Amino acid sequence: MFRIALKMLAADRAKFVGLLFGIAFTSFLVTFAASYFCGFMTNGFALISENGATDVWVMDPAVQSVEQTINMSASALDRVRSVEGVSRAVPLALGNADVRFANGQFQTFQVIGVDDASLAGAPVVPGRNPDELRARDAVIVDAGGTSGKLETPALARDQWPHDGAHLDAPTRELRGGDELLVNEHLVRVLGQSSTVPRYPPRPLLYTTLSNALRILPVEPHTLTFVMARTVAGASPREVARRIEQRTGLRARSTADFKSDTVRWFLVNSEDVGDIAAMLTLAMTMGFGVTGVMLYMFTYEHQSQYAVLKALGTPSGTLTAMVLAQAAMCALLGTGMGLGLCGIAGEVVVRLGFPFRMMWFTPLAGLLGVVLVSVAAALISVRPVVKLQPAVVFAGR
Amino acid sequence: MTGADQEPAVRCRGLTKHYGSGNERVDALRGVDLDVRSGELLMLVGPSGCGKTTLISIITTILDQDDGSCEVLGRDVGRMTEAERTRFRGESVGFVFQAFNLLPALTALENVSVPLLVSGVAREVAEQRARSVLEEVGLGARADVLPRKLSGGQQQRVAIGRALVHDPKLVVCDEPTSNLDAKTGHEMMDILRGVARASDRALIVVTHDNRTFDYADRMARMEDGRIVEVSEGGRQGAQS
Repeated sequence: MFRIALKMLAADRAKFVGLLFGIAFTSFLVTFAASYFCGFMTNGFALISENGATDVWVMDPAVQSVEQTINMSASALDRVRSVEGVSRAVPLALGNADVRFANGQFQTFQVIGVDDASLAGAPVVPGRNPDELRARDAVIVDAGGTSGKLETPALARDQWPHDGAHLDAPTRELRGGDELLVNEHLVRVLGQSSTVPRYPPRPLLYTTLSNALRILPVEPHTLTFVMARTVAGASPREVARRIEQRTGLRARSTADFKSDTVRWFLVNSEDVGDIAAMLTLAMTMGFGVTGVMLYMFTYEHQSQYAVLKALGTPSGTLTAMVLAQAAMCALLGTGMGLGLCGIAGEVVVRLGFPFRMMWFTPLAGLLGVVLVSVAAALISVRPVVKLQPAVVFAGR
Repeated sequence: MTGADQEPAVRCRGLTKHYGSGNERVDALRGVDLDVRSGELLMLVGPSGCGKTTLISIITTILDQDDGSCEVLGRDVGRMTEAERTRFRGESVGFVFQAFNLLPALTALENVSVPLLVSGVAREVAEQRARSVLEEVGLGARADVLPRKLSGGQQQRVAIGRALVHDPKLVVCDEPTSNLDAKTGHEMMDILRGVARASDRALIVVTHDNRTFDYADRMARMEDGRIVEVSEGGRQGAQS
């Protein structure tokens, strides 16, 4: 009987295509929104990702994510180093600075101060020796997911002019050898890196910790994170627990700190509400299209269901036939939607938008489709179950 | 053994049925008594609205009666549960409809297989049986054709095949020749008459088509919800 149900479905091409479209649309939008959200979140913990050698992150007990931080005293570094299971610990300082370009324009940058000795966390600049970052006032700039924020005057006459700012001067992107003014300190750009884009996007300025302390406003505490590496075979979670016990600081394994950061964004980011609204819209639209199409399909095929009922087909079998039709549409529609999402994802990634299709995002799409299809099928089953087979007779 | 010697396949006594209530109440059946014997072709005739469709709907367990009794193939349909009625219809009743009511998405062969599939017969077995039934009704060569590519007469042959494929003991035909020309109508009646004569099967044919009256063993005339006359038919088909 399922074969008959599927043949009935495929025979009405217009509605079959409509159903597939509705479900593919739902699957596409739900998966796309979920993947987009994953892309945002991946960018949200970009700082953690780009420090892959770190097993445990140590921070002020009030810090919940890489996005909102407060500094610790410099002694935290030695306290962490003294904990059993820690093989290496390096400092990382974060701060914000208004950076002035050579024509007088300015832009807020996130300053990332890395360990002078190891340069752990410093990005690579193609064609430059990493050790050059140790030079006094050397910096690496990064777009951090922004565009058009690293523009410096193209012509020498517009750089550091004595006759006032040349705000409308023609510009080009920053490159090695350019200069910037950070809190009245002149710094020299080694080059531009391409690290993981940030969420929210922001231009980045990498330098050594000693340079960072020089160019950032003076604060009583200067250490944002201690990045620890565990001894071989030690569990990062166990070492983190030990660090918390011994130092009173907050310590999280890399995986846990990523999760914390995602959770923080879920609670605090307004973009999450936008994505939820997009998901709701996708589900509503998908349900509208799919529900109406499936209902119309079963309604317009009532005479055929009536014949089947008259011929002795139980209501349960007819219900199963409608569900089989919905399931077939769900299966094909989901496949189409996911395929489309994969293609669209490839395009938006190339355009620089955050998009990351993780293992669970297609499942989110499938779940959305299942909800929509089951609801549509249940609504459509009703007229079939209530159908009076007597309508098959000429006198009815 | 002739039909007259057989125990009635259908025995209705004092059957009543109404629709609606108050001023809109319509008494469709007002105490119908009817016997249909195995092996006979009974034609049910009468003007529109006289209750023919209601009567065959009750006999085929599609509708409940209000009062009276109706025994079909030895079973009291009024005492059956909904599930028993559905199973009974699937196993023991064959239908031929005025508008053929073939499933347009299925080939002739698949349409004929449906009653067997409903009863849980494996597809291969069902299609094998359906193919032989299509041969019997002269459509073996068009088994794999969709209904829309068949003529009206061919579609009705498929419908007859579908009504017979599960070897039901009662076949109900609702205006089977109304949509057919005279020649094709006679062909259909020949087939149906042969079906009734060939086994201990009872046929009830509801019709307005007086060209086919000669095929009846008996004719029951209905008026205003009652059987007003039962007469012997022309028996043309019986001689053919």
